[in-house]
Amino acid sequence: MPSAMSRGLGLVLLVLVSVPVLADPPEAQAIVDAADRARNPQKPFRQTLTLVDYVHGKAQDSVTLGVQAKIDPQTRQFRNLVRYLAPPRDEGKLVLLDASKMWFYDPASKTSIRISAQQRLTGQASNGDVLTVNLAHDYTAKLVGEETIKDADRQERRAWHLDLAAATGDAMYNRLECWVERDTYRAIKTKFYADSGRLLKIAYYRAFAAVLGGTRPTETVIIDAVDSNLVTTVGAGDFHEQEIPDAWFQRDYLPRLEQK
Amino acid sequence: MRAAIVCAFLMARTAIAAPEDSDDLDRIPRDLPHAQTIPTTSRQDRVHLKIYFENAATLAARRDVDIPFPPPLPYDFQNRTSLDSVIEWRPVRQVKLVLSDRADLVEQESLALMSKQTVRNELREAYVSWEPFARTYVDAGRINAREGTALGFNPTDFFRPGTLVGQASLDPSVLSRNRLGTVMLRAQAIWDGGSVSALYAPRLFAPSAIKSALLGIDPRFAVTNAADRGLAKITWNLGDTSAEALLYLETHRSKVGFDVTRPVGQSVIAYAEWAGGYDEALIARAIGYGRETGTLPRDAPPPIPTQTARSFHNDLAVGGSWTIAAAVTFNLEYHLHQGGLSRNDWERWSGARRDIPALANELWYIRGYASDQLEPATRQQLFLRAAAPKAFVDRLELDGFSFVSLADGSTLTQITASYYLSDAWTAAFSASANLGSSRSERGSFPQVISGIVQLVRYQ
Repeated sequence: MPSAMSRGLGLVLLVLVSVPVLADPPEAQAIVDAADRARNPQKPFRQTLTLVDYVHGKAQDSVTLGVQAKIDPQTRQFRNLVRYLAPPRDEGKLVLLDASKMWFYDPASKTSIRISAQQRLTGQASNGDVLTVNLAHDYTAKLVGEETIKDADRQERRAWHLDLAAATGDAMYNRLECWVERDTYRAIKTKFYADSGRLLKIAYYRAFAAVLGGTRPTETVIIDAVDSNLVTTVGAGDFHEQEIPDAWFQRDYLPRLEQK
Repeated sequence: MRAAIVCAFLMARTAIAAPEDSDDLDRIPRDLPHAQTIPTTSRQDRVHLKIYFENAATLAARRDVDIPFPPPLPYDFQNRTSLDSVIEWRPVRQVKLVLSDRADLVEQESLALMSKQTVRNELREAYVSWEPFARTYVDAGRINAREGTALGFNPTDFFRPGTLVGQASLDPSVLSRNRLGTVMLRAQAIWDGGSVSALYAPRLFAPSAIKSALLGIDPRFAVTNAADRGLAKITWNLGDTSAEALLYLETHRSKVGFDVTRPVGQSVIAYAEWAGGYDEALIARAIGYGRETGTLPRDAPPPIPTQTARSFHNDLAVGGSWTIAAAVTFNLEYHLHQGGLSRNDWERWSGARRDIPALANELWYIRGYASDQLEPATRQQLFLRAAAPKAFVDRLELDGFSFVSLADGSTLTQITASYYLSDAWTAAFSASANLGSSRSERGSFPQVISGIVQLVRYQ
């Protein structure tokens, strides 16, 4: 009997353990790719983002951005045209974000200035494309494990914990950690690290809603890891599918761009 | 069996909530509201109006200079109140009308409170744009056609001469915000990865004298359209490199131009902008213009010996931007203006006799002409700029720049602090100084230091 019990217990344990072992988790890169697809529509679209800075929990500055986004079929990375809609002092300014081709256009001076990846991060719009970024292309993912974590609404979620290392020169951050809900492939949380290894910011995704054919986050809460008093919310809305010709993603089109 | 237990233990470990998880969440304020729900709206408004009010008060200090400055002297005090407006009207989808204007009320030292110069209007742009085919455009009217990628000096910005209007900053990037457009007909086609454009700007008036005084409501077409001019441009992208080639046509002043930009790593953008063509040197052009417009006597000799024949001159701006820690961006540029005053020319300028008023007039006219043309007076200079959008506190923006003459090391330096009081209100303070010995390019200028307090209300 002891041996039978031992064998039985062993079988139970084996079954309990073997279920996840036998049903191997997807490849880490596949999880990231699926999470990218769950987070963003794959067709060209436009949306309006409202970024609000909270300092010590009180709303301070806000920026409203119109974003037109389209995936580059070669790189699978989003190309973004960002227009400042508010505040009034910035209204009409434009930013083109297309891999390393990044331009800032000021309609007042008719000036297009090419900006670097670092310079892109100096303005508040640096948080504007947190949602429209595909991680699978620019990062090599490694599955750390499966965890239960709390989402932004403090609900527990079973999630894959992934560690992403920059794989291309276009990667904005040297390293990311992200947590993807196991059953839905919804992104729950991402940590962004600088080249030095310093944690820069933490993004929580919430307010999932039906958007352009999928259930996607309509709000991102970004915790500034450098300034511990600063939290930024990025609310997304006004989603529309839109035909966006490739010719729009260049410096000379910026003065012609209309918000449609 | 042992392996299964080990596996179970490992799985159990990874399923434990990460201890740091709750720490991260604790940093989100408990009462943080959900982001604003944005209503679905149509932004295809037919009329779009952008206006702001501005008040800029300037105080300046003068010094005695070796070469007497001809009257009127730069002012010590000015207050300008402006209404800046841009109206765009799209009556049908393919057609857009644009009007860009600034109206000023000016109080200034030695200026009657109510005079013809108290009210001033700058008609920057007034044009119609038509898109007959997708991404093919025809524009007609007064248009600000600005070219170039450098910050301190744009050799390919061929339509810059005479376009400057009163500003609350000497920063070249700010100066270009309020300049006058040129009456022109322009066509442009944009395709994947490139574009081509061509424009023609007709001569509408004879060249007019350079005026340092305020100009009332004169739209100044005689300044922007004093010659028949044309420009053809092609833009293309090749990998990470973006480039433009330009052909500028003007009688006796045609030029070709080229500019290129390319990122170097994550934090540097390198750029170069060049234009070259057969032209007279600055001194000859300035004296010729002064004679042609009646400002200088028709028989006025150049105050500095100069070559009057046209020769090939290069203009170059080469440099880069460097952003550090996503917080501060530095620009460093080298400027070559081959037609400008050489070191010998400058020594003759600064060493000229000061007791001959006519000579002093001509010497200062050369510099005034260079300033009106928005080109450097001397051949070589450095331009440095630093900008911190969030300096010390979120709403404070600091930037500063310096032009350094490579002829004598003198500098024009400006520092500006802008504070965003609210979404609608911005306050700014600029301080600038011309520093150098009394015989240097910048130190010879009568205005030694100035400060501008600016308050802007955006609607």
